[in-house]
Amino acid sequence: MTSSTLDPISLEILWTRMISMVDEAATTLVRTSFSHIVRECHDYAVVLLDAEGRLLAQSTQSIPSFICTLPATARHILAKFPRQTMKDGDVFITNDPWMGTGHLPDINIIVPIFHKGELVAFSGTVAHSPDIGGRIRSPGIRELYEEGLRIPPLRLMHAGERDQAVFEILEANVRISKQVLGDLFAQLSANKMLEKRLRELLATVDVDLASFGYEIQSRAEQAMRADIAALPDGVHSYKMEVDGFGDPVVVNCRVEISGDTITVDYTGSSEQLARAINVVPTYTFAYTCYALKCILSPSVPNNEGSFRPITVKAPEGSILNPRFPAPVGARAMTGHLLPPAVFGALSATIPDRVQAPPGSPLWSCHLTGTNHGEPFACLFFLNGGQGASATADGYPAISFPSNLGNTPIEVLETQAPVRVLRREIRRGTGGAGASRGGDGQVLELQILADAPVTVSFMANRLAMPAEGLDGGEPGAPGQVLLNGEVFDPREISLIQPGDCLTLATPGGGGFGAC
Amino acid sequence: MGSIRIAVDIGGTFTDGIASEQETNLIWVAKSLTTPDDPGEAVSIVIDQLLNQVAQQSSTTVEEVVHGTTLVTNALIERKGSPTAAILTKGFKDVFDIRRELRYDLYDLTFRLPPPLIPEERRFDITERISVEGEILHEIDDGELDRLLECIDASGAASVAVCLLHSYRNDTHERQIGAFLKRERPDLMISLSSAVAREMREYERASTTAANAYVKPLVSTYLSELERRLDDLKIGAPLRIMLSSGGFTSSQAAAETPIALLESGPAGGVISALNTGLAAGEDNILAFDMGGTTAKAGLVQNGKPSTTRTFEAGRVHRFKKGSGLPLLITSIELIEIGAGGGSLASVSNLGLLNVGPESAGSVPGPVCYGLGGTQATVTDADLWLGYLDAEHFLGGTMRLDLDATGRALEDIGTRLGLTANDVAFGIHNIVNENMAGAARIHIAEKGHDPRDFTLVATGGAGPVHAVEIARKLGIRRVLCASAAGAGSCLGFLAAPVRIDRTLTQTDAIESLDWDGLIADLQKLAHDARTELQGAGANIDTVNYEVDVEMRYRGQGNTVSVSVPFGSLGSGFAQPLITQFEVEYEKLFGQKVPDGTPEAIAWRLVVHEHLVERRFVRADRQNVDADDSPVRRRKLYQPILKDFVECGVYERARLLPGVHLQAPLVIEEAESTLVVPVPASVSVRDDYSILVELSS
Repeated sequence: MTSSTLDPISLEILWTRMISMVDEAATTLVRTSFSHIVRECHDYAVVLLDAEGRLLAQSTQSIPSFICTLPATARHILAKFPRQTMKDGDVFITNDPWMGTGHLPDINIIVPIFHKGELVAFSGTVAHSPDIGGRIRSPGIRELYEEGLRIPPLRLMHAGERDQAVFEILEANVRISKQVLGDLFAQLSANKMLEKRLRELLATVDVDLASFGYEIQSRAEQAMRADIAALPDGVHSYKMEVDGFGDPVVVNCRVEISGDTITVDYTGSSEQLARAINVVPTYTFAYTCYALKCILSPSVPNNEGSFRPITVKAPEGSILNPRFPAPVGARAMTGHLLPPAVFGALSATIPDRVQAPPGSPLWSCHLTGTNHGEPFACLFFLNGGQGASATADGYPAISFPSNLGNTPIEVLETQAPVRVLRREIRRGTGGAGASRGGDGQVLELQILADAPVTVSFMANRLAMPAEGLDGGEPGAPGQVLLNGEVFDPREISLIQPGDCLTLATPGGGGFGAC
Repeated sequence: MGSIRIAVDIGGTFTDGIASEQETNLIWVAKSLTTPDDPGEAVSIVIDQLLNQVAQQSSTTVEEVVHGTTLVTNALIERKGSPTAAILTKGFKDVFDIRRELRYDLYDLTFRLPPPLIPEERRFDITERISVEGEILHEIDDGELDRLLECIDASGAASVAVCLLHSYRNDTHERQIGAFLKRERPDLMISLSSAVAREMREYERASTTAANAYVKPLVSTYLSELERRLDDLKIGAPLRIMLSSGGFTSSQAAAETPIALLESGPAGGVISALNTGLAAGEDNILAFDMGGTTAKAGLVQNGKPSTTRTFEAGRVHRFKKGSGLPLLITSIELIEIGAGGGSLASVSNLGLLNVGPESAGSVPGPVCYGLGGTQATVTDADLWLGYLDAEHFLGGTMRLDLDATGRALEDIGTRLGLTANDVAFGIHNIVNENMAGAARIHIAEKGHDPRDFTLVATGGAGPVHAVEIARKLGIRRVLCASAAGAGSCLGFLAAPVRIDRTLTQTDAIESLDWDGLIADLQKLAHDARTELQGAGANIDTVNYEVDVEMRYRGQGNTVSVSVPFGSLGSGFAQPLITQFEVEYEKLFGQKVPDGTPEAIAWRLVVHEHLVERRFVRADRQNVDADDSPVRRRKLYQPILKDFVECGVYERARLLPGVHLQAPLVIEEAESTLVVPVPASVSVRDDYSILVELSS
């Protein structure tokens, strides 16, 4: 089928149907998952890819970064396992940071889909596993090998038969294996569901997925090019800084708009660190594209065509393009700075379309230990205030640029031996301005375990706040306290039964002078 | 002398009413414009009309009045509830602001969230704490209760929501606060989260309780006012209220938990579709309703409408999922599957033809209405394809402008390189494909095959699109009820009394204390019986079912397994596990190896049996039958991809027993049934029309 036979009506109908199928598979993943990371926080994505690994449709609710990474993962799988060796019922797995999403906890599952004996598509899922072994996630880690089990691209199932060795190695290396394997089964169910639905579609509609993919990607590319061309040519720069280890971490962002293309260059950003806040190139690319898509083309359903007019550069050996085996576990602590950095640069030319920096990067708290002899491992997320924009105040405590929900307190208390003593808005912590930044939040919890608990955090902007934009004031910085005393969250620590932790997330920056 | 029951449904535009005579199933239909400032007025008018109509043919007494209303929905959308206060566990009074921290639209930086119903200054916290196991860690101090009372007095609140942490496990503190407030301030309306939505997850429970409290004074006043009006009309009959769950209850119980009547109208629509299906011997029904702005679908399997425990009210951002207030109520599950008749067609920035979600509404409306609309809508496409008639729309009361429609379609066609005919069928086909696609997924998610269902069409645009949607789904039978315009009322009349009660406790099935469980459920059953009697049910014949919310230990979401109450007991563990695993595998493709099945909630549903009712319109009794076409016109036939001349029939003159061959069109004032493909069409003895598609 040539592209000319796919008229604008059939194309619209097919595309809508594919997005619905992917959403149904995502629902399966959420409903069958065993960890609250997937079902409460939504740390997952589901995609449908064509036979070349190009994105056809993605789940509506998903993490922005995963959308760019899953197609790349599928292509890494294809590079190792030639397509002619793939069989119906094969399942491929990897969590390699450079081939996957940039850190080990995210397990990627890629499944080839066959129709009339031919490989026509792939289903892809990724979900943040509740544990991946190693030390618990912390920015303080110095080597990738400390961060847990690394699974190179492997065949998890051979024509429907499980590779027992892979399951057993995984089971033997993680803390809460029931949850980890339960989530893996949930992913397999989701992949299977998507496969089933695509086969049903292909049984009733005669469509060549390759030309369909070519067509929608070309159209998305043209739309993005038109949106970029509507901006005046120019070069804009912005520098962002957050707390580091000694020196601040710097993200230096230079955005060049030229005709219908955009080049984002991060030269001048920090060097790669022997700390787990390095960002692999696919993640750098993903969050840069995400920021541009929010501003330029938010209503176009997502696919890779949108990103063809975008070039992203980061020097090798820098924090945004590190050399293996740099530790990467807490890569969100740097990667989440990219969208506000891009917004900062573009505020010079399109101030009405951007937002001031939010109280991000995302915060998290990871607790492991034993209680009454039973092991537990629990991870939960907290968000800071939203950055203000020209037209609206920021909301308090909302996830950006990621999209990770909180864990309800009533659920959290079933997941770990803790009691939450309060969770409230930190009123007045958003930056002042013509529009106010959103407020941060404070969560206080007490350790109820009968043995010491290992704790680690992602928590930043304790010294350097989220800046305002266009004359707006910065938000208030965050705070981490242990029993009321200031506590350094950058290293893994051991805390005692009865200890009290306070996590206070930063406010977002204000927009415009008061 | 016979007895009648009356159903009244207040909709956005019209208040509909139907009276039905118990012995004969004759029905009388009335309608009046809704009176938003005093909704009870239209109710009085409609009932008065009905009584006059009935009196001409029969001498009767009114046995009961069943009522459904959009009052609660509207109060939440328009924020017209009462000033409400909240009492929350100390340290957690910002639960309404923190929500779940998620953005419902990944790319739209300008997304908006609904403002909390209870503002910060009317939220008060109290020092108390219950543990995750339900144990009281910190008791309530009397002095604090007095302080709380002062705060509430000063806030001017007429209603109070009480939502404490872990109250789904232990409601002692909530009940203590409730009793104290009731004693000290008898006029204050009180809503306890453990009574309104006894579920884990504090934000969703608090949101539901706040919404209940927010509308409670309004609903309470409205219902007592309505009872007074019934007295004025000399109707001594009790007032029953239709619930979102598809059952009805006494007006006293409804006033206590008004949030439960949120979606009563649409629920009535599904019950009505089920009733039509049952009369035709079908109990697997796809209820399809398509109005001006949206199309909805509901599924009935084995005579049981599928229900859901999550709902969202008052979406603030382009009707987007996630932009409303989450509510934990039992409601008949209706999913939005697509656009409505007024939905606008456009060319997207990808150069594709899009339909909706923007709607032309009633003003300016579709281009063909001639009220200023210039952008083609679904209705315009339907007109162009010959599915609607420019000269005979709404029973000939409104002329449509076909030329203007043609210009609007050509305008889109120019941009896409297509003809007006292509664009018209493109719009029609996109809408149908999208609806069929969404319905297909919904049915598949429930583990079923669409071909096992019969489609029942309602709403102004429903019968226009129903046959094509059925064809796309592989459904062979389409039913179109009589008096479809007042479908919700028919549902109210057919609905059973129903009471829902929930027991939340997590137990592995293998080690369950069955005696303790059954004793607790007996208490709920006793409580439900009292309410049932209040709603006029014969408690000797009611049905007791338990929907068990099950999962594998460690999971967060559940699969519902329905069992008869009487089957519970220690010998039931293995059958229950088997039933769960069968259902799980059906839904998700595979069981979980080595999983431990557990139950987290036992939902007791006590209801009357649904008895099929074959309603017959009293005004159809003496019409002159005529089964020849009143006109002929050209109809676009999707299989032939061309226009072919077909017969047009008048529904009022088609009597039971008539058989016709499609393609054809059957017109009535409220809607038009379009059968654009070969099919056999017959009128059944309840005046519903059955379309059987050729395979």
